[in-house]
Amino acid sequence: MRIKITILTFLLALGSVLWAASSPRSSESPNIPIAHSQEEADTMRVDGERRFHANCGRCHAAPHKFPPRMMATIVRHMRVRATITDEDMRLVLYYMTQ
Amino acid sequence: MRYFLKSDVQHRPLPTLRGHAFIFLFLFSVGMVPALLAQTPDSERPVPILTGSAGYFTFVNAGQTTLDAQINPVLLLPLGDHWLVESRAEFEGAFQRPPGGGSYGGSVSKNLDYAQVDYIANPYLTVTVGRFLTPFGIFNERLYPIWIRSLQQDPLILPLSAESSDGMMLRGGFPVDAKANLNYTVYVSAVSTGHSNLASDRNVGGRIGVFLPGPRLEVGVSWQKLLQDERSNAFGFHFAWLPAQLPMSMHGEYARSNQGSGYWVDAAYRLSQVQFWQTAMRRLEVAGRAEQFFSGQISADEAQALGLPGANTREGEFGLNYYLQDGLKATASYGRQFSSDGDANLWTVGIASRFAFPLGRVNTP
Repeated sequence: MRIKITILTFLLALGSVLWAASSPRSSESPNIPIAHSQEEADTMRVDGERRFHANCGRCHAAPHKFPPRMMATIVRHMRVRATITDEDMRLVLYYMTQ
Repeated sequence: MRYFLKSDVQHRPLPTLRGHAFIFLFLFSVGMVPALLAQTPDSERPVPILTGSAGYFTFVNAGQTTLDAQINPVLLLPLGDHWLVESRAEFEGAFQRPPGGGSYGGSVSKNLDYAQVDYIANPYLTVTVGRFLTPFGIFNERLYPIWIRSLQQDPLILPLSAESSDGMMLRGGFPVDAKANLNYTVYVSAVSTGHSNLASDRNVGGRIGVFLPGPRLEVGVSWQKLLQDERSNAFGFHFAWLPAQLPMSMHGEYARSNQGSGYWVDAAYRLSQVQFWQTAMRRLEVAGRAEQFFSGQISADEAQALGLPGANTREGEFGLNYYLQDGLKATASYGRQFSSDGDANLWTVGIASRFAFPLGRVNTP
């Protein structure tokens, strides 16, 4: 039974790796999103702040903002640790780097 | 405040990590080429970070004083757009007076909490291999660091599941509609007894949670099956709630296994809405926790070897945290434990800090 679970888990992971490696990167790059207008920037900042408090505040007090390259690492770490969604991660990263 | 794995107690020699090491190396090598070819502007490229926490506490539990100093460095090494290598170690010195009096003495324990490679395959899936924090409930994975937890004493039920596991994990979070996000984790772990810093049990398990962004409420369930010895099951429930109108957070867990069962609920309230002494009050947080443990089907000695109470226990705790600055807080708490083994007072006073340093340039020309 445990051998089957191990093999199944391994096959799922391998398939995912190969699928992702062959996918176009532009559509899933975890870069900071770009606002195309001031209005869009304001909306993203407000949405990012809301999602920041909802996601990050569930566990800890709000930290101060770090430089963008540090925030990119921290948000990636928290995406994995707290299983936050891809969209939340991008908007939180946008908010924390403005 | 550590506890032991089941394999520490039962001394059962079991196979090595060879199979999982192979999976780790294979995934790492398959994914490394596209990872290193990924393109990200320099100004946004994640930089390696050394972060973590450090603290010093004095615990007085049932009259026994423990001086506890600890540092928990976390290394975050991002690679390309999809990879993250992360690791956390724990160095903790716990010093007590010997029975009968004398100077404080003790040892410094070293523990590798996790050392994992994460591959963010797509918005729905992250693959993790290596040594990782066991995703059973939320305390172990999210609330354990001393700069995060509002009360420094561990919950009584924390040892009901292993702290770390060696193997593979699939996890992710995604919106199911505009009002709910789903998150999940499934994992398989191999037994490891060769080195005390890499100890783990052979088990499989998973956790699923639903987060409602509107009321800022998360609820979830966890399950774990031990694939060795008594092959027992453990399951649990958890919740986390952050009311939108109050500077407060609440968390809770319930867990049950053949070793025992119990629950804890805590709340932390930041006094930022108090109208007097605002400079001080907005830095002050009051916290409380109520918890209960019910003994399971193991002996009191086995329970204590695992870090569990040896008898049915109730506990209430109240504390204060004062945030001196971002990432630095002074903490003090008092708790009362009620048990058929004897009641006890639990005092804690100390200081906890978080640090973060980039291991590279953060400003691009």
